[in-house]
Amino acid sequence: MSEARAPAERGGAGGVSLRRLLRRPEAPALVFLVVLVAAFTLANDRFLQVGNLESILASVAVLGVIALAVNQVILCGEIDISTGSMLGLCAVAAGAVATSAGGLLLPLLAGVAMGALAGAVNGFLVTVGRIPSIIVTLGMLYALRGVILLVTGGTWITGIPNETRVLGIGKVFGLGYPVIVLLLLFVVMELVSRHSTWGRNVFAVGGNRRAARFAGLPIDRVRFLAFVLVGVFVGIASVIYMGRAGSVQTNTGAGLELQVVAAVVIGGTSISGGRGSPLAALTGAVLIGVILNGLVLLGVPGIWQDAVLGGLILLAITTDVLRRRLVGDKA
Amino acid sequence: MSAATAVLRRLRFSREVVLLGVLIALVVVMTLLDPLFLSPTTLLNTSRFFVEVGLMALGMTLIIITGGIDLSVGSNLGLVSVAVGFSYAAGLPLPLAILFGLVVGVAAGFFNSVFITFLDLHPLVVTLGTFALFQGLAYGLSNADAVSDFPAWFAYFGQAYLGPVPGQLILFVVAVAVVWVILSRTSFGRYVYAIGNNEEAARFSGVPIRRVKIALYSGTGLLVAMAAVIYTSRVYTARADTGLGLELGVISAVVLGGASIYGGSGTIGGTVLGVLIIATLQNGLILAGVPSTWQLFILGVLLLVAVFLNEFFRKSEE
Repeated sequence: MSEARAPAERGGAGGVSLRRLLRRPEAPALVFLVVLVAAFTLANDRFLQVGNLESILASVAVLGVIALAVNQVILCGEIDISTGSMLGLCAVAAGAVATSAGGLLLPLLAGVAMGALAGAVNGFLVTVGRIPSIIVTLGMLYALRGVILLVTGGTWITGIPNETRVLGIGKVFGLGYPVIVLLLLFVVMELVSRHSTWGRNVFAVGGNRRAARFAGLPIDRVRFLAFVLVGVFVGIASVIYMGRAGSVQTNTGAGLELQVVAAVVIGGTSISGGRGSPLAALTGAVLIGVILNGLVLLGVPGIWQDAVLGGLILLAITTDVLRRRLVGDKA
Repeated sequence: MSAATAVLRRLRFSREVVLLGVLIALVVVMTLLDPLFLSPTTLLNTSRFFVEVGLMALGMTLIIITGGIDLSVGSNLGLVSVAVGFSYAAGLPLPLAILFGLVVGVAAGFFNSVFITFLDLHPLVVTLGTFALFQGLAYGLSNADAVSDFPAWFAYFGQAYLGPVPGQLILFVVAVAVVWVILSRTSFGRYVYAIGNNEEAARFSGVPIRRVKIALYSGTGLLVAMAAVIYTSRVYTARADTGLGLELGVISAVVLGGASIYGGSGTIGGTVLGVLIIATLQNGLILAGVPSTWQLFILGVLLLVAVFLNEFFRKSEE
């Protein structure tokens, strides 16, 4: 490790501050984001306009909100790949309530309750059932999609009333509600992550589970709450989704789970848990939005989207390993 | 539940015996539902549909025994299918196109293993990435299109019969035998268990961990590629979404067969029984007229129940 550390130390004081910058988990993604934005601005001078930036943020609101919660699960050293189907199920619940009762509050509550229930099942199976989270959420990804098909019988939910759609299409001072909700939840998660007991425990559990156990932390409760949080945030995201789309299809959210995990690890949260931040999840989500937006600008066909996404995940985890070796961090 | 486990312990039932009991019970139920089920013709015909999942499950068993996982097998199958179909459509002779497909499958597995061994990354994350990458490549390269104008002899791989026995069933039996010998009769097989039990200890005992893992993931890539050729021939169409969601059935079969998801234990016999149980169940659901929408749900729940029971019995055994 000492040879690997040498180049960074050669730069004296400058090298030290560079190393400190490199230690920030979201640093590479932020730098990459700035470079990309600069490049797109040079390529197309309308890119940096407020309207375009707002529309990019709005387009990643669903992804970003879910990523903020999954970020906590990954920080715990677990993973959740059931969010795509969960979003669909929450949207079905919220949509059913919206078309029968209307309003914003009741559909939102229905979506959040459904999400919290699904998240609690995940959390229960992981903590009490002692089944690895990847298996639990892989099973749930398919089981929940099956539930959606059973409940809806394969038909779409259409005719979502406008007062429910406000969370997806409403605007205040030119700023869309999706962006407001995303930024609000980001601030909340930063505060929770830094200043609440649970937020601190998440890092402890993910950083070294044995040590956390010996220190007397409630490991199972910390992880259970993280899974429930994912459900709650997916519930909120489902109403944003429904508002933007105006309908709920049976394949709503299909493939989203991959984008969510991609956003979190591209942003810089370590997949092995213990290091990362809500800022990483937000950065990752925005980066994915900018890249997908950029692909459209460059005229790349949409069918390449998955390949780009997969390549980005591999690039992100590789950079993470190399960065850690460079700054001499232990795994 | 504790009384049941006590009985199980007293009778010293091995997992394979329990699984065999489940399989027999399933077959009896299916026969009651539909008398035609137990006829040799139906059973042999059914076998055409589980060989692909079975081949992939063989490789997955070894990977899971080492404590790893491969989520990219379904996407890899689609990629190989596209590689065979579209290199043929581009003018490559079919035998070479098939060879090219096999190379692509092995290369994809090798690609996984490079990230897993040299960067020391968890297989879960790597194969989640390659799951998207392989699928995206398959879609992009095929332009989301399909090829199906194969010559007649291509049907041999997935539709040929030797007497009443489907050709791919024979291939599967051979593959089972080969992988069984490798796992239980060679030092390589001992290494696989050693890595899964305690990788650190295995490393200090001189087990060539990197080489074993590279061989495992590349070998699984080969099995996936073989499954892809059979699948493509059976449905007579090469397209990107060929293997969509197959990884769930594969992992379910292995876990149902008793391999611990934490590594260190698992057998080929158990996996084969797991594959047969899932195939019987799926076939039975179709015979019983259960809508296909239920199948996703049942497979997902089955996976969860299997893992839960696995770890439950393992704890009571200790």
